[in-house]
Amino acid sequence: MKKKFLSAFLAGTILTGLAAGAAAQQLVTTDRVGSPDAPNVLTMRANPTQSPNSPSAEQKATFEKVWQSFAEAHPDWQVQFEFFGQDIGSEHARLLEQARAGRAPDCVTVDSFQLALFIKNGVLQPLDDFFSQEEIDDLFPFIRDGITGSDGHIYAWWWGTDLRVLYRNTEIVADTPETWEELQNAALEAAESGVEGVLFNGGRWEGTTFDWLANFWAQGGSLVDEDGKPIFGEGENREKMLRAMDYFKGLVDSGAAPRRVATIKDYNDFNAAAIAGSAAMFFGGHWQHFQLQEAMPEEAFAKWDVSELPGPTAGERATGTGGWTVAAFTDDPAKVEMCANLMREVYMGPANEVIGDLPTRESLFAELPKFQDPYFDKLKDYLVNGRARPGVPIYPEISNQIQITMGEVLSGTKEPEAALDGAWNRVMEAYTKM
Amino acid sequence: MSEHAVAGTAERTGSPHKRAWHLAERPLVWLAPLTLLLLITYVYPAIDVIRYSFTDATLLNPEYAYTTDSYRALIRSPDLPGILWVTFVFVVASVVLQLVLGLLVAMVLNRGVKRRLPGVSVVRIIILSAWIVPGVAAGIVWQLMFNEASYGFLNAILRGVGVSPVAWLSDPDLALWSAVIANVWRGTAFSMLLLYAGLVVIPSSLYEAASVDGATALKQFWYITLPQLRPILLINTVLISIFTLNTFDLILPLTGGGPGRATEVLALYTYNTVFRNFDLSNGAVLAVILLLISIVFTLIYVRLLPREL
Repeated sequence: MKKKFLSAFLAGTILTGLAAGAAAQQLVTTDRVGSPDAPNVLTMRANPTQSPNSPSAEQKATFEKVWQSFAEAHPDWQVQFEFFGQDIGSEHARLLEQARAGRAPDCVTVDSFQLALFIKNGVLQPLDDFFSQEEIDDLFPFIRDGITGSDGHIYAWWWGTDLRVLYRNTEIVADTPETWEELQNAALEAAESGVEGVLFNGGRWEGTTFDWLANFWAQGGSLVDEDGKPIFGEGENREKMLRAMDYFKGLVDSGAAPRRVATIKDYNDFNAAAIAGSAAMFFGGHWQHFQLQEAMPEEAFAKWDVSELPGPTAGERATGTGGWTVAAFTDDPAKVEMCANLMREVYMGPANEVIGDLPTRESLFAELPKFQDPYFDKLKDYLVNGRARPGVPIYPEISNQIQITMGEVLSGTKEPEAALDGAWNRVMEAYTKM
Repeated sequence: MSEHAVAGTAERTGSPHKRAWHLAERPLVWLAPLTLLLLITYVYPAIDVIRYSFTDATLLNPEYAYTTDSYRALIRSPDLPGILWVTFVFVVASVVLQLVLGLLVAMVLNRGVKRRLPGVSVVRIIILSAWIVPGVAAGIVWQLMFNEASYGFLNAILRGVGVSPVAWLSDPDLALWSAVIANVWRGTAFSMLLLYAGLVVIPSSLYEAASVDGATALKQFWYITLPQLRPILLINTVLISIFTLNTFDLILPLTGGGPGRATEVLALYTYNTVFRNFDLSNGAVLAVILLLISIVFTLIYVRLLPREL
């Protein structure tokens, strides 16, 4: 008995030792890339989906190979990760506080629409030395503008973007709606057959503003002027805002969209409705194509098609484009360089292929194997009408007020004029304080 | 060895007996670490919030000046009356329902235990599990329950029994009550726990005497149970009022405060002011208001505690 115990104990000890040794050698863990013995440490805060800690098992496995190559190419460095929570807005507000106190991580994945806050506060390092002019010129214009500060330097690398599209069940809506009117008619016809005509984000969250703004932008509307001052509540822009609001209000009031859109604040709601076969159309993100493909039987998925968001006329189109950047917060030159290496070797291209976020450089869009597909060809065409949210500090409050306005209008609490005036006054109060 | 001898030895050696005697004589010495901890973790942040409320600080600008403008702006704010009204309805409705349901469940459980009914512990665990669930998770769960799509849980049940679906979250008048239901679901267990503890210590002789006198169950409840539970009920009311006043983690995933501002309570408004609007000083003013209301409740609690228990 004693001998058996001793043998088991020894075997256990040896196995534990081997396992510990193997872990020590592992170059990619959920919160570290590189050897734990590497002398140089780069701290990085990332959105989990863009890290070795991806919640998607498939993406995690593919991404691990990318991180492994990065670790092998830089044996003297280890990247230590921390992760953003779900509330990206407040996470960025906290990050800004940390950055101003000099306590931010060295390298961070920053949401593209929050980037302006950090550039304006002077907490990012310029990256011009690490990217060629050819590479910068290759960026889509709205991407280039988004990462460039008022001094002309680039302060982040915007590596992946996304866009909003119209999904429709072709069995219910055969023809592509090109205009607002066509969409409403098609949705009404679908609703008469017992399904929900069209769904869109209308709850209190950023997606509501972002998705709806395409209708404002399609008319040539601007939220802010060149100096970042809000102008959406005055003159022609006010009229364009009201037209875009009337469009959504009309969809709900006519029954083309259910009143519950005022509660939708998650793209997954659209997936659920599509899978349940209870909706004919929805305004969603381009990435949902893959989610539906994975979740639906092949024959059901084949009924769904994607097209450009309808405009007030067929010739007036726009779509919201978002995405993520990587920025360097450290003032240590060696760390800034390593952060730039990470942008180039992990994110510019490889991450696009793993995650499916659209490349921001035209040449990459043409070269990367994943994007040589008819679906992506369509998206590339739609990107021509892509509009990014203005990179100005007042934008989060504009968005907040538009969310409130949409809730009031869609639920019938206020008429669009009164709701818009309320939003405008509050935004201007906030702007004055900034 | 005599007592004097022990004392003498303690004095010479500095034994634990002597130290204990000295500490008892000087409470400040043993209270100091706790006081320091409280000062650092509670008092300092509270003072800092008050200080920020008298500035024009934002998260976007490291420089700020001292002013009372934020208080004046808040008083003039057209949103504040609506926010306060929503908060009032949310807190009062939640507290009343949590008290009534908590008492009901506690009494049923108490009766079950006395009758040695099987499964009472299981029921208690199930109810308590709702309390353990974090607010964010509870908000997500109830968002699925209230989903107004054809596959939404509650509306599917209503359709099954031939009742028209309800606009739980899209109707601004109903959305607040949906938030109250979700909050009551989460908070009732805490009330039940406190009230159950109060019920089990009521002497059974009181009920026996009342029965002998021919008192009905309702009279026993009115003249024995309620008066005996009075201190627990009062403390419970104060505690769940404070908890509910500070609730926003449940509402954020449930409605985000919408539609419009229909479910935006004071705590959520504060959160939005700081983290969406980056307005630190206005957020601090709102936090001070929340702090003052909580202090009033706490004072009531402190006043009730020694006298009644």
